[in-house]
Amino acid sequence: MQSIDIAKLRKLDPHIVCIGSHRGIIQSILDFDHMAGKARPSIVAIVATGRKRERYFFGPGEVSLPVYTTIHDIPDADTLKLNLFLNLSSGRRVLKSSLEAMENLPALIGGVIFAEGLPERHAIELYAESKKHNIWIIGGASVGLIIPGVFKLGAIGGVQAGQLEQSKLFTPGSVAVVSTSGGMVNEFIRAVATTGHALSFSLAIGGERYPMLTPEEAFLAAERDKATTAIAYFGELGGTDEYILADLLSSGRVTKPVVAYIAGAVAEVFDTPPQFGHAKAMAATVDESARAKMRALSTAGAHTAEKFGQFIKLMRDLPDKTDEVRPKTSAAGLDRRRPALIASSISADRNGNMTVLGEDLLELAENNSFAHIVVSMFLGYETKSVELEKFVDFVLRLLVDHGPYVSGSVNTIIAARAGKDLVSSLASGLLTIGPRFGGAINGAAAIWLEGVAGEHTPASLVEELAAKRKYILGIGHKMYRVDLPDPRVAKLLEFTAKLKVKKYTDFAKGVEALTVRKKGNLILNVDGAIACVLLDLLSEKEGFTTDQLQTLVDTEFFNAFFVLARSVGFMAHYFDQVRLDEGIFRLTAAQVADLSNQA
Amino acid sequence: MPRVKISEFRSKNILCSAFGLPYTGVHIDATTDWQKQIAGLSKTKRYVVKVDQGVKGRFKKGLVFLDRKHSQLKADILALSKKGYRFVLIEEFKHHTPDSESYLSIERTRAGNMVMFSTSGGINVESNAAAMKSSLMKPSSAPSVEQALGLKADSMSKLTAAFEDNYMAFLEINPLVVTDGVPQFLDAAIEVDSEAGPFVKEAWTVSDFRDPAIKTPEELVVEELASTSQASFRLKVANPNGSVFLLLSGGGASIVVADEVYNQGYGRELGNYGEYSGNPDEAETYLYTMQVISLMLKSKSSQKVLIIAGGVANFTDIRVTLQGVVRALATSKAALRRQHIKVFVRRAGPFDVEGLANLRAFLDREKLLGYVAGSELVLSEIVPKAVASLKAGE
Repeated sequence: MQSIDIAKLRKLDPHIVCIGSHRGIIQSILDFDHMAGKARPSIVAIVATGRKRERYFFGPGEVSLPVYTTIHDIPDADTLKLNLFLNLSSGRRVLKSSLEAMENLPALIGGVIFAEGLPERHAIELYAESKKHNIWIIGGASVGLIIPGVFKLGAIGGVQAGQLEQSKLFTPGSVAVVSTSGGMVNEFIRAVATTGHALSFSLAIGGERYPMLTPEEAFLAAERDKATTAIAYFGELGGTDEYILADLLSSGRVTKPVVAYIAGAVAEVFDTPPQFGHAKAMAATVDESARAKMRALSTAGAHTAEKFGQFIKLMRDLPDKTDEVRPKTSAAGLDRRRPALIASSISADRNGNMTVLGEDLLELAENNSFAHIVVSMFLGYETKSVELEKFVDFVLRLLVDHGPYVSGSVNTIIAARAGKDLVSSLASGLLTIGPRFGGAINGAAAIWLEGVAGEHTPASLVEELAAKRKYILGIGHKMYRVDLPDPRVAKLLEFTAKLKVKKYTDFAKGVEALTVRKKGNLILNVDGAIACVLLDLLSEKEGFTTDQLQTLVDTEFFNAFFVLARSVGFMAHYFDQVRLDEGIFRLTAAQVADLSNQA
Repeated sequence: MPRVKISEFRSKNILCSAFGLPYTGVHIDATTDWQKQIAGLSKTKRYVVKVDQGVKGRFKKGLVFLDRKHSQLKADILALSKKGYRFVLIEEFKHHTPDSESYLSIERTRAGNMVMFSTSGGINVESNAAAMKSSLMKPSSAPSVEQALGLKADSMSKLTAAFEDNYMAFLEINPLVVTDGVPQFLDAAIEVDSEAGPFVKEAWTVSDFRDPAIKTPEELVVEELASTSQASFRLKVANPNGSVFLLLSGGGASIVVADEVYNQGYGRELGNYGEYSGNPDEAETYLYTMQVISLMLKSKSSQKVLIIAGGVANFTDIRVTLQGVVRALATSKAALRRQHIKVFVRRAGPFDVEGLANLRAFLDREKLLGYVAGSELVLSEIVPKAVASLKAGE
């Protein structure tokens, strides 16, 4: 394990990944960050199951933090910046998830394990791995590490904004607080503040039998840290760490004044001492008793007290009182915050100005094409690529209508003839769009993406789909054939002419080359062509990763252009029907095959 | 509850299967229809009968019967059951000479697995400390242990594998008798890491855990509560007729407060130790408080106080937990008043102002108020206030 360097941590720009989610703790870290005057939350990513994002307050406003299922899903740019982890998952999952963090985050320097109940064998294994990776780990069962004004890694110091202020956690001070207990570390932090001092740093060792960062290492860190001029230590009965601390003092390896309190004298009352609050808190031998350990520390030069009340007086007498540094923003009112009912990143009313994607609506409308606005709003940010804009513009025009024969148009026409209004008739047509009508663009995109990302060859994918007896969406046409090509497809594919890689289009054409050999009309159709060209443009011109493209497929993004464009056609059919006024549509008996007597 | 003893029966099963040896011990639960189990045993063999409940020093306490006939088994079990013990182990009695008894233990430490062994084992192993050798378990050190104890080569690797696979924390075989290189486990005690249940494929389960203490119904309820909650709960009776009862929060703070009771000279008057932490919800805190109240009301002491205390919580919601406390106190308010019990409170943390105000209003209204304070009072200083009220009533 890398020894923890507090002075260096004070200069760190913290980028934290939380493994597991805990609302109160995460919120308290964001409150700390805002009160410390940071421009952005120190938490960059959460790894947890469930939702894709979680909303938290950042000061009086709100931010949305990204949630990833695994550490591998974090975008590379963020992965490279993450330097601290806070493991909030349950004890049994700590080993695996912490190892993953150490193996995959190149900038990582340390982390905290919050869970109680990490199996001993896992703790020892994790300790050995952390040494190999040159990373310090505090815990398990630790409420964390705090450096005033710099970062708060865990519940330490409290979860209410008011608590942070009362404990003067924005004032760089000189007393290091080290405690085996999470509750007592906070009690000590508060005592430091109320006796006129401030913290240089504080950490909770955790009450487990084998804490990864030992009290010894915490003392040595305090000794190395120039800003620290005194150490306050809380220990408990059980274990022999305090003898090592006594040795540090008597051998002169720690020279700074130490005040210490060791709890657990009460164990003498019990015939068989109970397991006190923490896993370690069980004195197996006389040497592990609170009194014996307190005596050893006292003999080595630490200031100790038999009673806790006297101990607080010792803290009062520590040198170097510190003037308080107020937080940059006040905690007042923060406890009364209420989350907004919904969140939106598309548009907003800002001081009476309507903005879309952060830009004034009127300016956006004046300076941009409809296609640019459409694709930007669908993707949730302003796109850069002119090629994408031009392609979307062409697609929107190309897809406006495909005759009154197709299902959606027929339904619109029937609704219109039944006397329904514009929106009902349009909705009737739109509700027809699905797996068999109009939905093939997204289905084709799913196949091209799977083919390329899954490292298939066109042949292996065709074989796999054939084995599953599935159609290849995006392939096949009623009228056009390989020797009578669809002119629209040729036009669509022209948009890839200047692309460097166009791997999706190449893959789709590779599939077509195989299928036309089976049957001449199994050509790449309009749906398949739109899908592969869009994938290539998004990947090459907008930098979409495979995972991001998969998310688009999962949300039917590729059908959205069809829905939008074809709405034009459906409404046209509605107006047309009203003008023609044909009367209600009805089938005759001869137009319905009667199968009711068939067994 | 990280390191827990498992039964001797389960321990020997695990050890024997590690060496591919049969194990024929019979495990008796005195609360079941155990007579059938005895009827199934051979009438001609000789047996050992012993309490299997994690009790230390069984020989010296008279909880082991050696060389018993089949006809004596029933009376032996009844005798142990009458003493309050529930779990009994019956094994075939095997003769061996005391000087063949060795000792072997393995303990998990941060540095690695520490092996201790001696060829002078048995109940007086401690008086032969000079014969005890110890070393960190490494493949290279195994042959020397095996040779010293007369075990076949690869015995230590089998034992180490069983130790690791079963997430043992401590293993002690004493006496160990070795015949032709094959171990016999005359007595074996294993402590496992209770947190490792998900990783041992039911080689041992919670039902194998043995605790020598005989528990009160209140302690059993809290054990159950702890096993079904994300939060942590502990309760241990000290003096059932004590005068100071504790409702404490936080692993460390709870010891500080209990210490202060002891420092004030009221250690023998302590009715219980316990703590809750990890942000329990209202209902859990209610249930826990009910158990402390139940113990307190049963105490025959004429003067009683309840101390509700904890440090400055990091993330436990004080408003919610104290709400559970108030609801529990309200169910017994008349009984508490009749016994002149006063309540002393020191607690802080998230939403403490509201939580403490509610509790104070309740105590005041019900005439149970001793003192209520937040972080302005030093954690331990609530104890002298409670003790002073006891002294005033004496």
